[in-house]
Amino acid sequence: MKALRFVVAVVVLCILSLFLIPQARAGMDAFDVNKMADMSDFDPNHPVIPTGDTIKIALVASFSGPAATVAQMYWACATFVAHDINKRGGILVDGKRKKIQLMKADHMSKPAQTKKVCERMVLHEKVNFLIGTNGSNNMKVINQVAKKYKVIAQDFTALSDELYNATNFTKYSFMTVPSCEVVGKALAYYYGKIRRKEKKFYILCQDYLFGHSMAKGFKRGLELYFPEAEIVGEDYHKLFLKDFAPYLEKIKASGAEVIYTGDWIPDAENFLVQARQMGITLPVANLFLNEPNMLHRVGIAGTNRLVNFSMCGAAEGSAFPTADQVKYYHKWHDQWKKWKAPYNTYLYEHGWSASGSMGSYIQQIYWLMSVIKRAGSTDPDKIIDVWEGDSYRDVFNTVYYMRPSDHKVVADYYVQIYGPPEEQKACFNIPPYYWFKGCSNPIKIYRIPALRCAPPMDTKMARCKGRDIWGNLIK
Amino acid sequence: MKNRPVKVILWALFLGVLVFYPSLFGLYFTNIFVIFSIYALYATTFNYLLGYTGLLSFGHAMFFGIGGYGTAIALERIQGLPLLPAIIIGTLAAVMLALILCPLLVRVSGTAFAMLTLAFGQLMHVLALKLRWLTGGEDGVGGFPIPPFHIPGVISLDITDPKKFYYFAMVVLALSMWVIWFFTKTPFGSIQTGIRDNPRRVEYLGFKLPHTKAVVFIISGGFAGVAGSIYALFQNLISADDAFGIGNSFAPIIMTVVGGIESFFGPIFGSAILSFIDELTSRYTERVEIVTGLILILVIMFAPKGFSGFLRFMRGKWLSPPNANPALEETK
Amino acid sequence: MESDTVLYISQAMHGLAYGMVLFLVSAGLTLIFGMMGILNIAHASFFMLGAYFCYQVLSMTGNFWVSLIVAPVIVGLLGVLCERYLLRKLHAYGHVGELLLTVGIGMVILGSVKIFWGTESLPVTVPQILKGLVKLGGLEYPIYRLFIIALALVILAIMGLILYKTRLGMIVRGAVSDAEMVNALGINVPAVFMFVFGFGTWLAGVGGVAVAPILTVYPGLSDQVGMDAFVVVVTAGFGSLKGAFIVSIIFGLLSSFGVQFVPKLAPVLMFGFMAIVLALKPAGIFGETE
Repeated sequence: MKALRFVVAVVVLCILSLFLIPQARAGMDAFDVNKMADMSDFDPNHPVIPTGDTIKIALVASFSGPAATVAQMYWACATFVAHDINKRGGILVDGKRKKIQLMKADHMSKPAQTKKVCERMVLHEKVNFLIGTNGSNNMKVINQVAKKYKVIAQDFTALSDELYNATNFTKYSFMTVPSCEVVGKALAYYYGKIRRKEKKFYILCQDYLFGHSMAKGFKRGLELYFPEAEIVGEDYHKLFLKDFAPYLEKIKASGAEVIYTGDWIPDAENFLVQARQMGITLPVANLFLNEPNMLHRVGIAGTNRLVNFSMCGAAEGSAFPTADQVKYYHKWHDQWKKWKAPYNTYLYEHGWSASGSMGSYIQQIYWLMSVIKRAGSTDPDKIIDVWEGDSYRDVFNTVYYMRPSDHKVVADYYVQIYGPPEEQKACFNIPPYYWFKGCSNPIKIYRIPALRCAPPMDTKMARCKGRDIWGNLIK
Repeated sequence: MKNRPVKVILWALFLGVLVFYPSLFGLYFTNIFVIFSIYALYATTFNYLLGYTGLLSFGHAMFFGIGGYGTAIALERIQGLPLLPAIIIGTLAAVMLALILCPLLVRVSGTAFAMLTLAFGQLMHVLALKLRWLTGGEDGVGGFPIPPFHIPGVISLDITDPKKFYYFAMVVLALSMWVIWFFTKTPFGSIQTGIRDNPRRVEYLGFKLPHTKAVVFIISGGFAGVAGSIYALFQNLISADDAFGIGNSFAPIIMTVVGGIESFFGPIFGSAILSFIDELTSRYTERVEIVTGLILILVIMFAPKGFSGFLRFMRGKWLSPPNANPALEETK
Repeated sequence: MESDTVLYISQAMHGLAYGMVLFLVSAGLTLIFGMMGILNIAHASFFMLGAYFCYQVLSMTGNFWVSLIVAPVIVGLLGVLCERYLLRKLHAYGHVGELLLTVGIGMVILGSVKIFWGTESLPVTVPQILKGLVKLGGLEYPIYRLFIIALALVILAIMGLILYKTRLGMIVRGAVSDAEMVNALGINVPAVFMFVFGFGTWLAGVGGVAVAPILTVYPGLSDQVGMDAFVVVVTAGFGSLKGAFIVSIIFGLLSSFGVQFVPKLAPVLMFGFMAIVLALKPAGIFGETE
């Protein structure tokens, strides 16, 4: 009798622990494309937005004004994720299955408007999450609103390191995008440790905080990984500069071998178009020269050998090494063929890193969904509990780690080398074996280890004192 | 005679709504009201130059901006600076700017005045962007400490609470507007309108044109600085594009024209109307530019005297006796 | 040639090219203001429309030269329509009303451009004939930029011819100086206004087509160019074509040599120059005092 009771106890204990272990292991989650819903009815022009008792997420971006194209892109990414999650039945929070309700919050690229619209979202629409945005000065305001009203904010695209320093940090906001210094260091690492060829660099960035941070990151990276490198010139041009010719002339005269820039469109486009027109064929180390419309305009030759930092990639070599990744690619690409304007352009064709960084935005938003799911609640404190120190494996097999001390992400990142369509087969390893016919795109992808490109941590913050790049206390 | 009690009642009602507004309408609309009032003062200072003196200041944002930056930088750099001195510093900065520009600007009028103010407004914008060590460049100055509104022995109000900020802002802005209104009612005010209508005559009467214009300019700039100062405190952020941008110079022009140049309350109406349109367009459409542009065109084409002109027209139709001539309105 | 000399000559040519573009935009602006007293805030928006129509015609015909001819004409016609049906009604109400109307027009253009062409940037490439560089003793200069310089000079010559050698030109010059007087002489001044407004916007359209192959064609194009054109016109003096030309060149050269020698100060140079000029002569270098 005693033995029987013992056996029953053991069996019961085993069964119980099977239930308990997933809870205890509310740690690493991974993106699983096989769990994705059927996306064949997804149309970014007509997203299905549920109402009622939902999880409300406000996408804050410049939906009107000259930068509207960026917000359109974010909207496509966010609605894609929401569509998938909703079709799976939503997320179980506070005991109920709730769907994701996305809302547009137009900040018109103005900080004052950002404050107004965020407050409306928080106070009137009672959103649970604020995600955004283009323009670090706007993101700063979002973080301020998040702090004031205790709402969780996710920064999936503003790159300024200052956003999470001692002055601006708030525990309610999480930066899932790599920062300026990460980009600079990764590119410097590529040139110093992988490429080991060109030594003379010309830095041309925009004259504002972002541009200066991008330059600083690159210089720091060169100090660490490429001390033999020589910076033959450093210029900061005004934003929305029309005529790059005088700067390009200086670059020609300096004997530079590589141009480094953090410029985004329209500056990025004006710069590249005019550079190629002036006969400057130098490779450009960049972050935002990945917009397909612009690349097509410059043409195959002009975009050859561009060196682009990518927020998402794959293992070394090909873009789709696993069957899962091929499947994931088709989830987006097959639908794209059916979409109408404005989503039927080259920009949206691949939904990948080589198209305006969309691939990364999508995965970052999936991370947010995963955090909500594991927290089982939209309560900010529970979200913070789960997200701090969280690890998430995205579809590209990159593990993101949310550094608990300053809410910045530490992860491996990628450097992509662009080449002509005939060379794209090794990278684009599925039919039709090229990204685009009309321009250069990634032919090779290099992985930069997280240790080499970790974001800086402001040790003036009490919670950051005495910690290493993973946020752990240095013994 | 029947006008007097009606006016008193209307004012009392208005004051009542003002006092209970935050409780009635909630936090979000309270904030909207604060922005509306700041711009109402700003537009009023603009109209003080345009409607009353005939000078179109095309770069008025420079005063707004320098007032805001003055206060923001002072609070950022000077530890423990109390609130009122911070506002005064901002206002003084605006007054200084007006003083510096006076010798140049009072010699001209009309188009040249407009163009010069435009030019200097743009210059201030570029300087604010370039002097990053002082102004923070594109990011502006933000996150500075906001001290409580503290009069020893009388009152201490923590204005980081939106509701309390509302009352504080109302007091300051209303006081400023009243001072300006008062100025228009003095004999000095008459000289002003004289300059607008017939400068040569005023000169012949013995009044020194440049000096008068200087005083007007300084008052206008100074109070625009006050508006900017309150704005910086409200947002806890002031940035170059926001404050010095050409859009901010356009704003008071649009508000004044839409509200009505020929009335003191015109700019106030204009600010209210524009806030309203802003809310509607930002909620219901992404095509903000087209909607605002069309509204602007329609208003200019069909109601060039603005809202207050429309009111006056209506008042003339409804309130005066049947055979009175509505064109014989009381002039200011 | 010594590399430094080559560099400086190159920078000078860049300055010249940029100055010419500025001239194309500011010429129309100064004519319109000089004659009608309208500060056309929407002028840069017409410039942007020129670039967009260039793309449109190019995608329909594949021929850059056709778009160079057709696109500015469409822009000019739009300008004429604006003047005839919108601005003309406001002449009586004074300049502030007209100014605000042009602000409204500018906003409507910006919104419409996004509706018809979307928010992404449009690709316009340099025509095959003008691609490449011209090489002269160590100096390499893009042929297309030379084309821009040549185009602006040709237009300047044509304008000079019309204004100074034809009766129409005489009337226009008279109207720029004193519209009332010309009206009193029996000339149909409203028609002249319409023509000049249309011509001004046509010029802006030509500027738009000229830069479309080298600039990003996107909804923010007007913001970029607008302010520069105003500064030129303000500095040069209203109504002075000669002034607009000279000041445009000066600004172009200031801009490129500024970048070469004092990069940190480059953007301020233009405004600084303007402030100094205005402090000495508020009506602008070539402006007439009122």
